[in-house]
Amino acid sequence: MADSDGEYVEDMSDDDLVGHGVSQTVQSDYGTRSKAGRGAKRAGDGRLKPKSRWEDLRRSWEDVVETADGTLTIGELLEAEKRRRLLRDTTPLQRGIIRHLMLVLDMSFAMSEKDLLPSRYRLMLDYAVDFVREYYEQNPISQMGIVAMQDGIAVRISDISGDPVEHIEKLREWKEQQEPKGNPSLQNALEMCRASLFHAPSHGTREVLIIFGALLSNDPGDIDDTISSLIKDRIRVSVIGLSAQVAICAELCTRTNAGETSRYTIAMHEQHFRELFLAATMPPIARSAEQTRPSLLMMGFPSRMVTSADKMSLCACHHRPTREGYACTRCRTKVCRLPAECPVCSLTLVLSTHLARSYHHLFPLQTWVEVSWADAKSTACFACQAVFPKPPKSKTILLKGKGKQQAGGKPPPVEAKGASESGRYACQTCGSHFCIDCDIYCHQTVHNCPGCQGGSGGGETSGGHTNGVAMEIDS
Amino acid sequence: MNPLDVVDDSTHYHSRGTVSVPNLLTIIIDTNPRAWAALANVLPLSQAIATIFVYANSHLAFSDDHHVALLASHCNRAVWLYPEPPTPTKPPSEDVEMGDAGSGKPSQPAPSANKFHQFAKLEASVLRSVRSLIDNTTAADVASTTTTQIPGALTLALAFINKMHLAVMGGSGRRGISPPPDTEPAHKNHRRSRIAVRARILIISVSDSSAEQYIPTMNAVFAAAHSEIPIDTLSLRGSPTFLQQASHITRGNFINVLEPRGLLQYLMVGCASAGLTPDPNDNTASGNRARMKLGKQTPVPPQGGDGGDPLFAPRAESVDFRAACFCHGSVIDTGFVCSICLSIFCDIPDGGVCRTCGTKLALGNYGARPAVSAAAKGKEVQAEG
Ligand SMILES: [Zn+2]
Ligand SMILES: [Zn+2]
Ligand SMILES: [Zn+2]
Ligand SMILES: [Zn+2]
Ligand SMILES: [Zn+2]
Ligand SMILES: [Zn+2]
Repeated sequence: MADSDGEYVEDMSDDDLVGHGVSQTVQSDYGTRSKAGRGAKRAGDGRLKPKSRWEDLRRSWEDVVETADGTLTIGELLEAEKRRRLLRDTTPLQRGIIRHLMLVLDMSFAMSEKDLLPSRYRLMLDYAVDFVREYYEQNPISQMGIVAMQDGIAVRISDISGDPVEHIEKLREWKEQQEPKGNPSLQNALEMCRASLFHAPSHGTREVLIIFGALLSNDPGDIDDTISSLIKDRIRVSVIGLSAQVAICAELCTRTNAGETSRYTIAMHEQHFRELFLAATMPPIARSAEQTRPSLLMMGFPSRMVTSADKMSLCACHHRPTREGYACTRCRTKVCRLPAECPVCSLTLVLSTHLARSYHHLFPLQTWVEVSWADAKSTACFACQAVFPKPPKSKTILLKGKGKQQAGGKPPPVEAKGASESGRYACQTCGSHFCIDCDIYCHQTVHNCPGCQGGSGGGETSGGHTNGVAMEIDS
Repeated sequence: MNPLDVVDDSTHYHSRGTVSVPNLLTIIIDTNPRAWAALANVLPLSQAIATIFVYANSHLAFSDDHHVALLASHCNRAVWLYPEPPTPTKPPSEDVEMGDAGSGKPSQPAPSANKFHQFAKLEASVLRSVRSLIDNTTAADVASTTTTQIPGALTLALAFINKMHLAVMGGSGRRGISPPPDTEPAHKNHRRSRIAVRARILIISVSDSSAEQYIPTMNAVFAAAHSEIPIDTLSLRGSPTFLQQASHITRGNFINVLEPRGLLQYLMVGCASAGLTPDPNDNTASGNRARMKLGKQTPVPPQGGDGGDPLFAPRAESVDFRAACFCHGSVIDTGFVCSICLSIFCDIPDGGVCRTCGTKLALGNYGARPAVSAAAKGKEVQAEG
């Protein structure tokens, strides 16, 4: 009994391997239904066939697995799940770092549905606030604007700008004061976005992200013409649907993204919606023969200066008296916050840290690989010092470890696939072992390998005495 | 947000009766041997460490919920001083011992009756670690580099804080059925989560920032800013430009120590304001009030103090945010940036080809813009003068 359960876990991780080899998409699936979900997608040959929500009941008791020593655990499955979200292509791709994005929010009657709680409308506006914050954090030198679809027309919520505070204020206002009503009009919204993005400089991206809850669009003309002009203006459109797939959205995304189908996604539940929404904060991969024209930009890097209270002066951007500010490096005009364009000489003013914020997109941290029991010599996570489980003594597991070693060979072109049987994850550069929590934290938040940065192994300065140091202390 | 949740989840933080948020102070000591050699006449390392003990103890003494962690950022590696990494010989215990790890060392001397157990433990552990760190430093190690591993130490500290956060939140993988749909990466959902651990990082810096550590340092700093962890810097020597920026971005304090012999005073007065003083509003774990309120979207200049702290920490008057060009490493205030890889150059590269990524770049007519009329020009000059 116990043995067969163990095998079940094995199967699970193998399946992961296949799944990731095939499609490394941003979407994620959950728990037990993940296999089925992916299967369906593959069968559909690239076409999205999301299941209805009711088909996806999560039965938490099915996740429970009995381990060899008779305890119930879902730990490994959970780890696999966490890892699955983490695994993505880490080859450094050229990305559009300087972005111009229009966010289109559906505010039609369809948004008052309560299939997403508390309602589609409120949830969308809440997530939109998170999106705005995350967007500016990930893309500090980018711009965005927000448009609503309501009553068959497009309504401007906030103008295209680099100031998150303004967007968030407007979104909050809308949430309190407006109700979803009328029909949405994709064409009107797209035309408004096209007009807003018309002046976006050619070195940046031009993107439209549409949150679309309805299944219809109330258009005044032929939307095909609009799509053609979008392509001409090199604007790419992504859509996140909230109810079901709509043919025109699929066509819109495919055509404006040069045949790429993955830009149209359907949210299955609240969490999935949030994930899809926030995934759009990641700078898009730049395509070849590009839409963006690389250029050399002139930028100023002003230093912060503070004057004494009796020498306050007005900032040129908001005309408010401030003590702190940054002087334009070309004309010495005072602006109160960065990044900004100098109101006088229109030099782009940034902090060097704004540029640094995007560097991790350009130099992503390598994915760490699973460690088999055979190699699990470490006692604790290199970063957080959490103690690792000890290698089991039982025969079956030892055999398993051996088999893996023979199959895989020693050199590590190991492919990361899911949960590690030993609970350890290894950086292939420095060889340090980490726990799952640190794996996730380092890849999603810090973008540093503690081992490589901490002079462990790999580095030219210190050959092998990495963890050795720590161990010698106590001997 | 039931305050009781916190109590339930943090059984190994002895919160006796009162509900409070664990407060973790992480001290990173820059142990760069060259720099300490230069400081030896004024403040030897041993004395600095003794001073840091006093400071750490004062933090620990404040409450049961106060924890400390110490790291060394050495010339070639970053090392945990306290809690010490578990030994391979010791049977690993099941639970993660966060602030209290390193207990039960067989080699530990008999505890002195005259010293608080926590203090003695900390002291023994740190002294042992530092000694072994120094013993294991070869002349070659010192010769090979002039800098220190601040990014590594910061990353370790952040990972540790993150782990503690997870342990308190109960989101760590070893706990059973906790992950509802909300187990997304801590980084995505933290804004909605309450602050489970109040953490600060204090860096005792003696070295200059080195240009090649810029990206990893900044990665760590952004992560700290994201998790609302202030980084305080006490610069005894050298010019740690990146740490100055770090403190500014994370809203910590940057203090340039003019008189290293007064280290204790700098620590107690300069860095205690936020680290030690209990926040009257935050004791209830209601979490509505994160230590630093909102305003995190961009590194906006702080509005002077955090509002809740009884002491106003000294603020750096001006922060050097000028960039170093990638071609010569010279500091510039106006430069040219490749729109693809964001490399910074001090002049227009030959033929408009980016020297880093090799992309052919379109050039603009820089500075040729506003065609100011003679009349307006005159006015401008007048206004300036
Ligand atoms: Zn202003
Ligand atoms: Zn200017
Ligand atoms: Zn760890
Ligand atoms: Zn590494
Ligand atoms: Zn240069
Ligand atoms: Zn470039």
